[in-house]
Amino acid sequence: MNPLALSRPLMSAALIATALLSAAPALVAAEALPAAGARVAEFYSIGKLATPAGVDPQIGGLALMPDGRMVAAFHHGEVAFYDFKKSSWKIFAEGLHEPLGVLPGKDGSLLVMQRPELTRLRDTDGDGVADSYETVFDDFGMTGNYHEFAFGPVRGPDGKLFVALNLASAGDTIRPEIRGEWSPIGLARDRFYAGDWKKYATEAGRMYGRVKWRGCVVELDETTGASSLYATGFRSPDGMFFDSAGNFYVNDNQGDWRGTSPVHIVKRGGFYGHPASLVWRPDWDGSEPLKQPVERLNALRTLPAINIPYAIYGNSPTQMVTIPQTAAWGPFGGQMIVGEMNSGRVLRLLPEQVDGVWQGACVNFVDSPALRGGIHRLVFAGDTLYLGRTHLIWAGGEGIGTVKLTKTPFEALNLHATPKGFRFEFTAPLDVSAADPMRWAGQRYFYKYHEPYGSPQMDLTPVTPSKVTLSGDGHIADVEFAELKPGYIYDFDLAGLASVAGDTVLNPRIAYTLNRVPRVPAK
Amino acid sequence: MRFLPVLVSLATLASAGLTAQVAPAAAPETAKPAAPATQKIRTVKLKMRDGLRFEPPRFEAKPGEALVIEIENGDTTDLTHNFVLLRPGTRETVITSALALAEKGPAQEFIPASSDILVHSQVLAPDGAAKITLTVPGEPGIYPYVCTFPGHGMIMYGALYAGVTLPPLDKDPNIPPTAAQTTVAGAGKRPFAQRIFMPEAGPAAIAVALAGSQNVCWDAGQCRLRYAWQGGFIDASANWAGNGLVLPVVPTKPWWRAPKDDFPLRFGSADAAAPTPKFLGYAATPSGPIFRYRAGETEVFEQVIPAAGRPGIAVRLQIPRAKGPVFYRAANDENSKWSSSVGTWNGGVLTLTPAQAADVTLTLTSALCTP
Repeated sequence: MNPLALSRPLMSAALIATALLSAAPALVAAEALPAAGARVAEFYSIGKLATPAGVDPQIGGLALMPDGRMVAAFHHGEVAFYDFKKSSWKIFAEGLHEPLGVLPGKDGSLLVMQRPELTRLRDTDGDGVADSYETVFDDFGMTGNYHEFAFGPVRGPDGKLFVALNLASAGDTIRPEIRGEWSPIGLARDRFYAGDWKKYATEAGRMYGRVKWRGCVVELDETTGASSLYATGFRSPDGMFFDSAGNFYVNDNQGDWRGTSPVHIVKRGGFYGHPASLVWRPDWDGSEPLKQPVERLNALRTLPAINIPYAIYGNSPTQMVTIPQTAAWGPFGGQMIVGEMNSGRVLRLLPEQVDGVWQGACVNFVDSPALRGGIHRLVFAGDTLYLGRTHLIWAGGEGIGTVKLTKTPFEALNLHATPKGFRFEFTAPLDVSAADPMRWAGQRYFYKYHEPYGSPQMDLTPVTPSKVTLSGDGHIADVEFAELKPGYIYDFDLAGLASVAGDTVLNPRIAYTLNRVPRVPAK
Repeated sequence: MRFLPVLVSLATLASAGLTAQVAPAAAPETAKPAAPATQKIRTVKLKMRDGLRFEPPRFEAKPGEALVIEIENGDTTDLTHNFVLLRPGTRETVITSALALAEKGPAQEFIPASSDILVHSQVLAPDGAAKITLTVPGEPGIYPYVCTFPGHGMIMYGALYAGVTLPPLDKDPNIPPTAAQTTVAGAGKRPFAQRIFMPEAGPAAIAVALAGSQNVCWDAGQCRLRYAWQGGFIDASANWAGNGLVLPVVPTKPWWRAPKDDFPLRFGSADAAAPTPKFLGYAATPSGPIFRYRAGETEVFEQVIPAAGRPGIAVRLQIPRAKGPVFYRAANDENSKWSSSVGTWNGGVLTLTPAQAADVTLTLTSALCTP
């Protein structure tokens, strides 16, 4: 730190004063910490971990090695290990192409997903630096379009690996040389080279997947590299995750055919909504997916288990991980969280299966400007959650942040659908005033499944419970409605609730995607 | 990342007497109000980065061009910075005057009264941003930009090239010596391999800086050498500052390009069909990467190295288990000549016995490069 550097608050104050005096437009974004951030600091300690010197501090991958070291993959292609005991970084590999995921291999190696391939890095001579960069899987298409990011790998319960491949963006065309098979379904390839791309961009589809397995999740054998198409219908699936029960979660980013960002439970052969990749389904009839009636596509797709309402909860979800079930994380242990690019926020995801259908809620977990945004890759080590940030040209951040729970806040811990409404569980007993239905006001809405980018909140309707029943210990509230509409998101604002101790809810908004109303009450 | 979308025109700032100081002598060129807001003005993004750096460390503009410079303090080490654009050759003078402000510095945003200053931002806190609209002076020249925050200016500077040809990045005296290391992939390390999108190649390309001054583009999708250039390695800064849309810059013109769509190896007979290549990865060795691929069923190791003492490069091929004769198509062109350690040449095709193919070095020299 330069001793001459002024502290940040002082500088901001000075600049604001200057701007006021001169009535000139302020050139500096003030660094005031919103009240919300200050309150978060009562419960979470937020810090940072320095990244290796001379390495661009944007994180594409973050994982914990079996020996306890943390591994990070960086934007310019470095892979480095962080030794917690020595508090030091060691560069293991470099020169990779936009790595966006790392995973320890079964044999002491390291798997890294680069734009063009899944690579196994190995240190064969024991000097602590990778000398073998082995191609595990590259049998997928690339047009050179900037948006063709490649995510993963994650390992399923049977040891199989999964990677996910982004669609290309109509923000640009394709490059003269491509890799892999070109699907003839859709805009003719020569149009991509016609020069006036803007003229043809809309015909290509806002996002397009004309080379092999773009927009798909692919299953791989780690040893042989043998690959097969696993699921279709994705746009920009940055987050893939297997929970301890073996359920496979894949999220995606709001955009065309994505009214808001979804979290899907993915099964082999499933179609998850974005039609571009249907051309790669072996049973596809060869028609142009973009020109199919929405009804046909809607009938084909599996609904998101959880919708993350756009701009309210998140804009661009990233990696999902499970909070360790240790004392350090209190009642949140075992719950799933997801990072968010556009603000300094990590959300909890609360999925459940109702009569065979997946659905559930999302709620902010740690939401503070101190987290900076760009929360791309997440890993727990010891009692700390490490957050690797990135941005490329979009909203985001850099470096590695850290979060620890210091005191359990008053929060809605869980939310379940019931035959007549919802069952809320809290981290502390509710004050009896919570029995007043007026304190549970919320709204319901849905997002449209259609080609345009995003969706407004459709049929936005205020909802108020007909009855609220508190459990004897005050931790549970059964909230009933006169009418329940499946297909809607029920978005609650619990700001009017208080605990027995007089605390208000730290993150009062919670949104449940109600795909199905259960026939029997939740356990 | 916060950004105040405030378009501050030079004229506005000048009239406010605050952040844009325009030297009287330069007024005819620099103080012109920028083009009307409705007209599309090119935007240059400039970021302050960790390690007292401007990114990019240099950029080009046309003399007289209207520009919007979007400045963002992306320094994650909590340092504050400003951006000050100067007359050619005045960087050190202005830094010295800024230091001399001493305790008066903060109140003046560390901006000394100087006719050498063309335009500047306020001091930006981390995550702070500014937009400056300006008209580049009409006189061609190398206009330095610098952070005048005390202690920063000796390291933290860059150069606006207005109508002046850019020298190779690693030989540019107008940018910090470290800048070549931060924008040139591998930071000057040789040999070095960087996988990245490359011009004139498939999307799975590998740029290789060889020991010495040669560089090649090796295409992992096609498992073959695509082109070679001599001089600095790729400048990947624009590619990395973006989302991959902008290709890295190959700083000098390639002195050799492989024929289009012609995989060079053939097995069995010289006119056999080209085998389908499959990339298998590479070994990172002290002498550079050794690529491994299958051509049809045959495993091949390939390494590109400098041509010892000669102007060009050498390709060392190792095909340990060739079942019959191996052919390598390598036609000479106007400037470039192929030769080999073993084998017989027949009109641009090298014929190798299986034993010769186990280890052969092909050398490509050119009148266009130096040893």
